[in-house]
Formats: sequence, C-alpha cells, structure tokens
Amino acid sequence: MAAVTLTNVIKRFGNFEVVHGANIDVADGEFVVFVGPSGCGKSTLLRMIAGLEDISGGDIAIGGKVMNDVEAADRGIAMVFQSYALYPHMTVEQNLSFGLRMNGNPKADTERRVKRAAEILRIDELMQRRPKQLSGGQRQRVAIGRAIVREPQVFLFDEPLSNLDAELRVQMRVEISRLHKELGVTMIYVTHDQTEAMTLADRIVVLKAGNVEQIGAPLDLYDDPANRFVAGFIGSPKMNFLKANVVETSNSAAIIELVNHGGARLRKPLSEAFPAVGAEVVLGVRPEHFFEAGEGDCDIPVKADVAEHLGSVSYVYANAGPEELIIEREASRQRASGDHFTVSIKAERALLFDKAGARIR
Amino acid sequence: MRTQNATAYRFLTPYLLVFAIFWIWPIISSFLISFQATRTVPWRFAPTFNWGRLVGDPAFYNALKNTLLILVIQVPVMIALAIVMAVLLNSPLLKARGLYRFAFFAPVVVGEVAYSAVFRLMFSLDFGIINKLLESVGLEKIDWFSNVTPAMAVIMIAVTWRWAGYNAIIILAGLQSIPEDVYEAATLDRVSKLKQFFYITLPLLKPVIVFCAVLSIIGTMQLFTEPFLITERGGPGGGTETLGLLLYRQGFRSLNFGYASAVAYTMAGLAIAITLVQLWLTREPK
Repeated sequence: MAAVTLTNVIKRFGNFEVVHGANIDVADGEFVVFVGPSGCGKSTLLRMIAGLEDISGGDIAIGGKVMNDVEAADRGIAMVFQSYALYPHMTVEQNLSFGLRMNGNPKADTERRVKRAAEILRIDELMQRRPKQLSGGQRQRVAIGRAIVREPQVFLFDEPLSNLDAELRVQMRVEISRLHKELGVTMIYVTHDQTEAMTLADRIVVLKAGNVEQIGAPLDLYDDPANRFVAGFIGSPKMNFLKANVVETSNSAAIIELVNHGGARLRKPLSEAFPAVGAEVVLGVRPEHFFEAGEGDCDIPVKADVAEHLGSVSYVYANAGPEELIIEREASRQRASGDHFTVSIKAERALLFDKAGARIR
Repeated sequence: MRTQNATAYRFLTPYLLVFAIFWIWPIISSFLISFQATRTVPWRFAPTFNWGRLVGDPAFYNALKNTLLILVIQVPVMIALAIVMAVLLNSPLLKARGLYRFAFFAPVVVGEVAYSAVFRLMFSLDFGIINKLLESVGLEKIDWFSNVTPAMAVIMIAVTWRWAGYNAIIILAGLQSIPEDVYEAATLDRVSKLKQFFYITLPLLKPVIVFCAVLSIIGTMQLFTEPFLITERGGPGGGTETLGLLLYRQGFRSLNFGYASAVAYTMAGLAIAITLVQLWLTREPK
C-alpha cells in the first residue's frame, strides 16, 4: 500500500499544455476518483501516474518516492484499461499469469496468486477460456484479476466500466467497491460518470480543462461546491441555474432579483463576500431543493413541459421564461405536461455564483 | 424478391458470359485436354498418356525439386524479412514513413521484364555491380549464371526483392490493428520489448502471416518470369527450371497441350495441398 502525491504536475503535448499544475494527495488505502468531462486531462493524469506518459513538469511520488524517471513496471502500480487490454490469444489463466511468467516468478507463487485472484473475482470457471469467449463483465473481471496478481501498491482504473451496459455497470461498481474494502489498497479511478464517482469514491477530484476544480468527499462536493462547474457537474439531474441581478446589499446579505421570473426577489445571507449592487449573478438550486408555494423565501410560477415518472422519483422539466428548470418534488408525481404551478426557493438551500462562476458565500 | 433477383442476373449476364467463356471453360477444357494425346492429329482420348508420363518424367521431377527448393528457402526468408520491415515501418521513431512505405511497395509495380533485365546486369560476370562489390572486399567474383546454385540464389534474391515489401505492407496493416494498450499492459507487466514481439506481436500477427505465406506459396508454385528472363529459360541446363517454366516449354514451345495441362493441374493441386497443410498446422486452438 502507498500514498500517491502529485505536486504541480504539468503535461504538455508539444506546445499545448493539457494539465496545468495539478496538486493532489491520495492517502494510503484511499479510493480517489478523478472525474470530469472529455478532454479534461483525467486519463492523462492517470497515465502519468502509471508511467505510460512522461511528465512535463512537477513531481509524482508513490509511497514517498519520486517516480518521475522510474519505469512504469517499477512503480508498484497495476492498471485496468478501458478496453480491458487482454491478450486475445491467451486463455484467462495465461492472461493472469503472463507478467509473472515472463519475469521468472516461481511457479508455485504464480499459481497461488492466480488462484487467489480467480477466487476473489469468482472467475475460476473461466480459466481456460479466451477473451473472445467472455462477456463484457467477465472480461472486466479478468482485467481486474490481472491487476490483482501483481499485488500492487496502487490500483489505477481508466474508465473501466464505460463499455458495459447499465445493469452490469452497477454490478461491477459494487464489485470494485467490495474489492477495495477487501484488499484495502490505494485506488485511483478515472471516469466521466459522476454517479460512479459519487458511489465509489472516498474523495473526488473534479477536473476541467486540465485544472483541478475541487477535491473533496462526494457529499461535500454535492453540498458545498467551490464553483458553478462543480455544482453543475456533480449531481444528477443537474443543478438549476437562474440568472439574477444584485439589487441591494447589506453587511450580512444580498437581495437578488431573478431576471427571468417576473422580478421575484430573494434575500441570500452571505458571510464572506458581498457583490456590488447591479452585479450579474447566478442562483444555483438543486432539483430537490424546490419547495411547495409559500414554503420558501421566493415563489416562482412555472409551466410543466415534460413530466418523467421513474417510480421512486418524479422529475418535472418546467419552463419559466427562457430558463428550463428540473424540479424533483413529492408533488411532482401528480404533475402532467402543461400544468401551471408555483415552486418556492429557500435561500439557505440555494447557492450563489458570480458571473465568472466562482462561488459567493 | 424473385423479380429483383432476375433483374440482378440480367445485369450480371454480360460479365458471367465473359467469365464462363474465358475462365470456367478453359479450366474445364484444360482438365479434359490433360487426358488426351495432343501430339497426334487429331487429338485422341488417352487417359494415362500424359499423367503416366508425368509420373516418370525426370524433367518434371527436376522442375518440382527446383520449385519446392525455392519454396522452402525463399518464402520463409522473405516472410521473416517482411515482418522485420513491417516492424521497422511501424516504429514511431521512423521519419518519412510514407517514403519508405512507397519504396518497399515500389518493386511490385516495376515491370517484370525491366526488373529482370536489371537483375541480369547486376549479377553479370564481368560488368555486374555484385561482382564488383565482391572484388572490392577481396572476394572472388562469381559466375552467377553458369552454375546451378548461384543461379538459384539469384532467383531467390530477385523474388525476395520483388515481393518482401508487398508482404511487409500487408503485415504492417496487421501490426497496426493490434491495440496499443495491449503493449502498455505488457509494459506494466515488465515484459521486455523483445518478449512482447515474440509473445504478443507474432501470435497476434499469425492470421496475417499465414495469409502472406499462402499467397507466396501460390505465387512460387507458378514462378515463371524470373527463371525465364533472369536465368534464361531455366538455365544453366534446366538447373533453375520451375514447374511454371516446364508448363510453358511443353505447352507453348513443344505445343504439347495435353502434358502442359497435366503439369498445370499438378501445380494447382500441389499449391492447394501445401496450403491446406499450412492452414492445418497453424490452425487456432479451440
């Protein structure tokens, strides 16, 4: 087991910088998920930790030792690839043991490790099959098994579930979570799926365009995002963003007027920063933080456009002027397309962002 | 649906007619001719005449021996060379890859007569660049075309030069279809580049290599141009005569079409047999 520390890590492809000085500490035994949209640099970061990409600046340390110039095979890591990267001409057993056999590992030890991995992942029955004879989920298990036999200090996962169907993805998510508890090793996991990130991670690193936007526990990121990007990226359905102007400030609050909702006003208590009167701001409200009319601090009338009833939860996609809001309420069960109704926002459950997207607290 | 098919066949008819007249019929006809004595007028049906001669003909065994000798030496060497060339072409370190790819493929598009003439000149006893090079490093010059062994060597070198690049391009396509992350997984498994080549690249290239080998076997069984033009009609003294050349000699110089047809069918049969053996030997385990 080992901690992983990234200090001001930079990656450039030619003159194009894709990772701009990432600072991330992954504690020993921790499960950290790198999440962000396509092209945010999360896979590049992971490949730099693995040693499959050179780093252009900064330091990467594993177990306290700087690994910048250490060969990938000597970093004590194992990686599970998005496409599984199984050796197609080898059986499952050969896939698991290949690395050990090539390095002259004692036969008895190789057999022990392969047997253990097969037991952990419940793939004993598949040992003589080839990858093309396996389902997606089974291939993924073999890929994880190949990482387990290396007995690494750190596991790296590069979007390992993205090729699986929705049901299998949920199943494998649970398996990976169980594996982490069972092995207790450090795991770094890359995904663009915020649900995977929320369900698996001890801590999440949110990345955007090569920058670390925020690092924190899943619920901390959900409840207390550092900026509009994190607020919008974490949570499904997404947070609603309502355009507003500051009309009045005091030393403890700002009164804002919602631009697209008939001049509805909300008094938002603040403690750190106070925007200027007239400043354009954005109010963030999660779908489940809309209340019945009169229950909150500011009512806004809306018209239901589409109602989605998923059983345990119902969402109403409502039009309110040019803004579309997603509303999740108990009462949403009774809503149908075309309904006119009023929802209410509580100031304490709404987040305020400035025009550039920074949080105003 | 039936009407649609009928329409399709009506459109195909001109092609099918040409195909039947110029492909199917000659194939059937030559098979029938192989059972006829064709050096008498009129030809007469004599089922054992040509096939019986074939079994006991020293010229046939000589041509067969020469063809198989080229097959077992030249084809493996050429395929090995093609694999090395493909791996080099695939290297990310290589600059001007397109130029090399063109250069390797170019021999295939050079006219056969032109390339044969150049090879004759290169290996010429007194003016050839090869002998000049040998002499320049203190070796004795070789009379390439007067002795069987050097003459065979020239044919093998020429065929290899002409077709190695072609095979390399096919193998390169196979190499490029191997996913990069398989190598990355092996790198993380601490498998050296050399072991990656032998344990990952070669096994994954097997279908492509078998394809190249089958094409080469068929090509070598029909080998004609090089022994005809470079070593002057299978010289010296029939020492480089191949089955293709024997067929030509019998069919178009002696006008013995019956025997030439029997040789042609033997060539095709051998090519099929060798290919089947090869496919069986390299079959995928279940």
